[in-house]
Amino acid sequence: MRDRAFSVTGLPGFATIAVAVFVLLYLPIVTLVVYSFNAGASPSVWEGFSLHWYALAWANDQVKDAAMVSLIVASFAAAISTAVATMAALGTTRQKAFRGQTLIYVMINQPLMVPEIVTAVALLLVFAVVRQWTGYTGLGYLILAHSAFCIPFAYLPIRARLESMDLTLETAAADLYASRWQAFRRVTLPLLAPAIAAGAMLAFVISLDDVVITEFVKAPGQDTLPTYMLGQLRRAMNPDVNAISAMLLAVTLVLLSLFYLMTRKRD
Amino acid sequence: MKRLLLATSLLAASTGFAAAEGELFLYNWGNYTSPDVVKKFEEKYGVKVTITDFDSNDTALAKVEAGASGFDLVVPSAGFVDIYAQKGLIQELDLSKLPNHKNIAPEWMDVEWDKGRKWSIPYQWGSTGVSVNTKDYGGDINTSAIFLDPPAELQGKINVIPEMGDVMALATMYYGGKVCDDSPEVMKKVRDGLLAAKPKWMSMDYSTVEKMGNHDYAATVDWNGSAMRARLKNPDVAYGYPKEGYGLWMDNVVLLKDARNVENAYLFMDFIMEPENAAGLSAFARYANGIAGSDAFMPEDMKTAPEIVTPAEFKDKGKFVTTCTGKALEYQTAIWTELQK
Repeated sequence: MRDRAFSVTGLPGFATIAVAVFVLLYLPIVTLVVYSFNAGASPSVWEGFSLHWYALAWANDQVKDAAMVSLIVASFAAAISTAVATMAALGTTRQKAFRGQTLIYVMINQPLMVPEIVTAVALLLVFAVVRQWTGYTGLGYLILAHSAFCIPFAYLPIRARLESMDLTLETAAADLYASRWQAFRRVTLPLLAPAIAAGAMLAFVISLDDVVITEFVKAPGQDTLPTYMLGQLRRAMNPDVNAISAMLLAVTLVLLSLFYLMTRKRD
Repeated sequence: MKRLLLATSLLAASTGFAAAEGELFLYNWGNYTSPDVVKKFEEKYGVKVTITDFDSNDTALAKVEAGASGFDLVVPSAGFVDIYAQKGLIQELDLSKLPNHKNIAPEWMDVEWDKGRKWSIPYQWGSTGVSVNTKDYGGDINTSAIFLDPPAELQGKINVIPEMGDVMALATMYYGGKVCDDSPEVMKKVRDGLLAAKPKWMSMDYSTVEKMGNHDYAATVDWNGSAMRARLKNPDVAYGYPKEGYGLWMDNVVLLKDARNVENAYLFMDFIMEPENAAGLSAFARYANGIAGSDAFMPEDMKTAPEIVTPAEFKDKGKFVTTCTGKALEYQTAIWTELQK
């Protein structure tokens, strides 16, 4: 029976395509990381190993400020979007199907579908008005914007977890006179925790990587690492940008690995 | 709710409402503002300067136009100063607050986008010409023929930067037109010339510093700053100013209408028109600055650089490259699309 089943790996050319895809995906990233250790000043001519560019990036005040802004915004955005996403996931799964449910899914996942530049321009206009009214120029705008587009990324893993979770446990808790709050606090939440943490990390990474919306929403002095790097493009690229990219990549990789471990654990 | 209020007030407190005393917000191209000059300014006047980067004139304009951007000074390119002025985004400068205004070099005083420099002051400027490896070709390099009608020695080893505006400007001037020409006859010649030249090129790529430095290319259309960096890697590289006409660009500092730190903005503008500080900006950004007398303070390797110091005979051959409109732009885009095929 087994050899009759359709298997994509058996198709002619599968191996070639797979290798080509992996090379295309990873070769540029590997190149970037390798050249971040280049001793020379050119991003494409190897002149020996050195940590010079890391030291340079580390000593650059603008890079430090940008990293700080990135971390603050990503932390707040991850916390806010995960909290909202958890409530949304509970609201859309822990009850009978209702009219307009699909519409709500679509609305929650809106940031995945609306082109980023549209959201960015819209936010630019709205926040300009708010800024004029209130005079507030702090990080709040960036945090709000990031929270909004991070919600679907936190929402999807949490909802997936809720849908695969056994309802009988919650029913049993209710049978044993647990109040709704107790059942949630003692049963649902602990079971859901890995998914919430995973959602939070995904949201954090998404916020950390964002360019377009940040570029339009940022107020004076609010460059994040990605917008700082974008600003470097007009002049000759220096390997310190490679070094910053490599560090950003490392943070992202660590978080994504944790995400993977957490979602895998109990499934 | 209390907590939320607390959180927002903390956020507000940490980042500050409106302008405190002694601040200045500069919106400039990334990696373009000398940290040393800024530090010197901060120490002299006790003003904290916050620099924010932009990556294109369009992004910067969009943010400023939306209003309440929070910036005081912006550094747009030549063709954009007019747009800022027409849209009412910038204010006319009070020259009595800029004693160093007189330091602006005469050729940068009556520029076409700002006669008499009442709206903008020079920041940095540069040119677009050609770079040639003199080992490959010993003839005249001060001509766009290097890439439009290449000598046999260079054929097949030429690069052209994929910048429509710059390349079209060089080609149009080579065939007897002007920047943003909209005459069908001239543009027909430009089209035919470019298409005939293309088979003799090797690539259309940006990485001119590395590839001229490594002698991967024998010649390229190039910016003067890149040409200098390539020459520092490889002394055989020379920069040519096409005598048929070459491209110029300049970035300028403008004062926003809704600036909240106007006095500090004037202090800063005046400060960077001090020859020594203008040279400081150049030492970092590696371009010329348009301030008379700054040469004396330039770093040694720039003082005599033929890419930075335009030879007198070519001074009047440079023309500003602006974004074209209407028919001219239509022709350019059509030719450019055909060229990319």
